[in-house]
Amino acid sequence: MRPFAHTAPRFILGGLVLFAIGVMLCGVFLRYVMLPITDWMDVDPINFFWVEEVGELTLTWLTMLGAAIGVAERSHFTLNIVVHHLPPRLQHAVHVFNHLLIASFGGLVAWICYKLALLNASLTSPALELSLGLFYVSATVGGILMVFYALDAARQPGAPEHSFGDVRE
Amino acid sequence: MGAVFIGTLLLSLPIVFSLGAAAITGLIVGGYPLQQLGSTLVGASQSWVLLAIPSFVFAGSIMERCGMSNALVELARAMVGWLRGGLGMSVIVVSYFFSDICGSKMAEVSALGSALVPPLKRAGYRAEDAASLIAAGTAMGMLVPPAIFMIVISAVTNQSAVTLFLAGFIPAAVIGFCLCVLVLVQAHIMGWPKDSRLSLRRLLHASREAAVPMVIPLVILGGFYMGAFTATEAGAIVALYSLLAAKLYYRNVSWRDVGNIAYESGVTTASVVFLLAVATVFQYLLGVSGVPVLLGNILAPLEVYHWTFLLGVALMTMLFGMVLEGLPAAVVLIPVVFPIATKIGIHPIHFDIVQTAAVGIGLFLPPMGVGLLMALKFAGVGVFQHMKYYWPYLIALMVGLMLIITIPELSLMLPRSAGLIK
Repeated sequence: MRPFAHTAPRFILGGLVLFAIGVMLCGVFLRYVMLPITDWMDVDPINFFWVEEVGELTLTWLTMLGAAIGVAERSHFTLNIVVHHLPPRLQHAVHVFNHLLIASFGGLVAWICYKLALLNASLTSPALELSLGLFYVSATVGGILMVFYALDAARQPGAPEHSFGDVRE
Repeated sequence: MGAVFIGTLLLSLPIVFSLGAAAITGLIVGGYPLQQLGSTLVGASQSWVLLAIPSFVFAGSIMERCGMSNALVELARAMVGWLRGGLGMSVIVVSYFFSDICGSKMAEVSALGSALVPPLKRAGYRAEDAASLIAAGTAMGMLVPPAIFMIVISAVTNQSAVTLFLAGFIPAAVIGFCLCVLVLVQAHIMGWPKDSRLSLRRLLHASREAAVPMVIPLVILGGFYMGAFTATEAGAIVALYSLLAAKLYYRNVSWRDVGNIAYESGVTTASVVFLLAVATVFQYLLGVSGVPVLLGNILAPLEVYHWTFLLGVALMTMLFGMVLEGLPAAVVLIPVVFPIATKIGIHPIHFDIVQTAAVGIGLFLPPMGVGLLMALKFAGVGVFQHMKYYWPYLIALMVGLMLIITIPELSLMLPRSAGLIK
């Protein structure tokens, strides 16, 4: 279960980046290649307004999943000027406290966005008529993953990657 | 709210969660609905402009993995290596080229540090000077498109990313020129050698080798100048081009590498966009609690002249940027100060360019700038040992910044001639 919960979102995240680039390229192709062709042939243009909606939905999912994975990867910007001077046991206590805070934040976001998803489920986007609840579901999934990764990280020791203490005389 | 932010920040809670904790505290204490957190988080990450970030990060990582930094280093050495201190100067030139391709400062320091520190040391440059050259060059490169920071600041201040991209080319060249003059002076004082003799054949060969990566800045500059595409579309085109170059020309990047790079680009993008989204809640609370008015009163004495205001805010951004890294500083501070700048008549694009330059310098400011710390790692020098050799470079950067502040046309000339601003 644990390896799957760690690897599956990573595959999805990489896939979302490639998908987002593909969608944007599709938009460029439809706008700059197909539109002049359909104009020249005097036929109905191929609709490309969906590109923006799909792109934005992809970015929202990418952000929420990636923010959760960032907790496991420790990729979020961190200021480390005090904690590494503390005794090891205190450092560990701070590490656990921080990850419990992150888990609480993730849980709260998941809960709030679940309620917002239900509230917005019947509203639809203008072009593709996608449920606006889909945007909020991304934050619910991201929030739940954040809780999982934060609790998992709290059980392990660790320090931020970039720190003032990295380079010393 | 401020106490929660600073307290958790000092406890090494990631900055985005410090902002989040402070925002939740502010919402509860202020009696605002917590739904504000969810709707703002989702709303702020639902942005077409920010969609340019994963493409540029992906393209930059692919090009870096291909090893094209070596071709750019060769081109820079062929261009200016025949001058005294030519190798040092080529660090500045290659930083300009490389920033055009790679949107990430950390990737740039890493690529240039590993490619240039060893030859600099072999040519007799002190390790401290090698680190200073990499740091100062990369700080200047902050202004060269497609910097991720520029996309974020364009979103934060509601300006066109394309206009900002175009506006950055000349100010970056101005700071680069200041640094090159410094290198020339240092070279005469320190006796730094010429790197090579002037050779047209070498220049042509290096240009041919660097042609593949150099297409990207030409596409960006030409495409934006002619108004052919948006920043987001440019990102997609550049990503496709870099993938094709990697698979068909360099042939040293596997599909597994592409997958890994896509994943890493996703993590980088998420940390930037999520930070921006959480900071939006924080900014809202700062706004309703009157912080912008308070800051406006504090900055009022500086508002007499545009340059004093810009310099004051730039120094603040630099210090914030050194402590909080560039992006967090920008998303917290700049939205608060931006309305004051436009109110006193500073052009929004000019303001954004000055702040971008300031954040670039802040990232490489001793003793805590993360970019500087990374450059020092490659040179194997301690931060305090390095400081006494770094100040001339900081002065050159500040002279460049002052020129950008006092001559707004340096920033506005290119977008104006392209018809993007009046």
